[in-house]
Amino acid sequence: MTLLIKDEYPEKLFREDGKRLDGRDLKELRPIKLEVGILNNADGSAYLEWGNNKIFAAVYGPREVHPHHLAKPDKGILRVFYRMATFSVFERKRPAPGRREKEISMIITDCLEPVLFLELYPGTSFEVFIDVIEADGGTRCASTTVAALALADAGIPMKSLVSSVAVGKIDGKIVVDLSGIEDKAGEADLPCAITWFNEEISLLQFDGDMDLNELDTFLKLAKDALKEIYEMQLNALKSKYITIQEKYNGGQVKQ
Amino acid sequence: MMSIRRVISKIERNYIINNLKNEERIDGRGLWDYREWKIKHNLVASAEGSADVCLGDTRVITGLKYEVGEPFPDIPDEGVCTVMAELLPLASPLFERGPPDEQSIELARVVDRGIRHADCIQTKKLCIKENEAVYILFVDIYVINYSGNLIDAGGISALTTLISSHIPEGKWVDDHVEWTGGYITGETIVKELPIVLTFGKIGDIIFIDPSLPEELICDGKISISVTKDKVTSIQKSGAATFSIDDIQMLNKKAMELGNLLRDNLNLWQYKVNIE
Repeated sequence: MTLLIKDEYPEKLFREDGKRLDGRDLKELRPIKLEVGILNNADGSAYLEWGNNKIFAAVYGPREVHPHHLAKPDKGILRVFYRMATFSVFERKRPAPGRREKEISMIITDCLEPVLFLELYPGTSFEVFIDVIEADGGTRCASTTVAALALADAGIPMKSLVSSVAVGKIDGKIVVDLSGIEDKAGEADLPCAITWFNEEISLLQFDGDMDLNELDTFLKLAKDALKEIYEMQLNALKSKYITIQEKYNGGQVKQ
Repeated sequence: MMSIRRVISKIERNYIINNLKNEERIDGRGLWDYREWKIKHNLVASAEGSADVCLGDTRVITGLKYEVGEPFPDIPDEGVCTVMAELLPLASPLFERGPPDEQSIELARVVDRGIRHADCIQTKKLCIKENEAVYILFVDIYVINYSGNLIDAGGISALTTLISSHIPEGKWVDDHVEWTGGYITGETIVKELPIVLTFGKIGDIIFIDPSLPEELICDGKISISVTKDKVTSIQKSGAATFSIDDIQMLNKKAMELGNLLRDNLNLWQYKVNIE
């Protein structure tokens, strides 16, 4: 039995007017909406809409490590669980976590760990739960961005925030923030994240092909986009406190 | 941020019970009042139907996916609908990650039975070709925030998801399925609207829609699914016992409150129109 509906790849990833299929310029990000503190049972939480991506993140910790043998006597541990909803993708995903989800969980853990002061919390764990409700390309970058916000919302001491974006090559042109279709049909994809306290790269993967001097362009483009995302993250964090201030200050915001 | 414990202090427990004895709830409701419902539909583009339902602080997101598969041999001309529920650890520190536990299986099964035994899903309409190809629907419930009474929130969100569904229409050509370009929508698939109502019991006081602190000190709960004129499924859970008189009273109450809720929510407004 054969089905005729498939993921269809367009032949060209640029429109006649030189813009991308969703109408963006080469360096333009998809619209991003960030909110913090939306889940009241978690210690910290954040929600993100990045293009069609819809992602929740929640943080618990520092709390007791379970199972106990994972606890380290000299420092706390960070654990990230990235999961996708069954209906977040075109073909129904099986409910149990797959290899891809486990790898991405690990990558995000490694990416976020440098900004935390884990040595101050021996014997405890920080757990970050990331649930992707809808996925459309760049979920690992979006998840890292929203997880960093959730950690900050939980009031966990951090050296800085972490921002993340993917750059890539489609139809021979280097572009920022690949959408799902560009990711699948394009030639190269380079997700990266930056830890702002030292401005170094904390997440880096690459699939595709590039020549040696292209990497420079990739990373320069990424950095500009990351700065934009960083501003949005800061604004999202601030706006939570502005709302609280307004609530308890009779509508007045102290500068 | 709210601290959730498995155990509630005696003083809080007594406070809740004393209020209930005066037919009052700690959040100001009466014994037979629901918390506020907020429903959004079709928020997930990758799903063939979805709903985001808030009942007070409880929040549930449900999505529908479909597959085309072979029918069961005993019902060769009927599609299949399965309900799965996942209690995400981000919803509450009480939820642990890992394979589905008793609570999430109970949620999925109670919602599933409520839908299955009411004349809700028109499974014959989900058949593409007898003995060969039928639609298999997956209604997957994700709990985003836990604040008591997941079953009622899950039931309404599953129903809203089904109503808002839009599945590509297939027809059988020679020996395979071809897509006509049209859609089968919730209007075709759904007929009856079964509502599941959960009652909590503490001592000999019974009330509807237990909130989280009430649920934690509940002796037990009873969930009743009702259509317009029939009871379609009952689930008693927890260590409480119910007298026969109680159960009769609750069945009547469920029918009355179910009809009220069905009218108030007006779920048919969430159907999608595809031209």
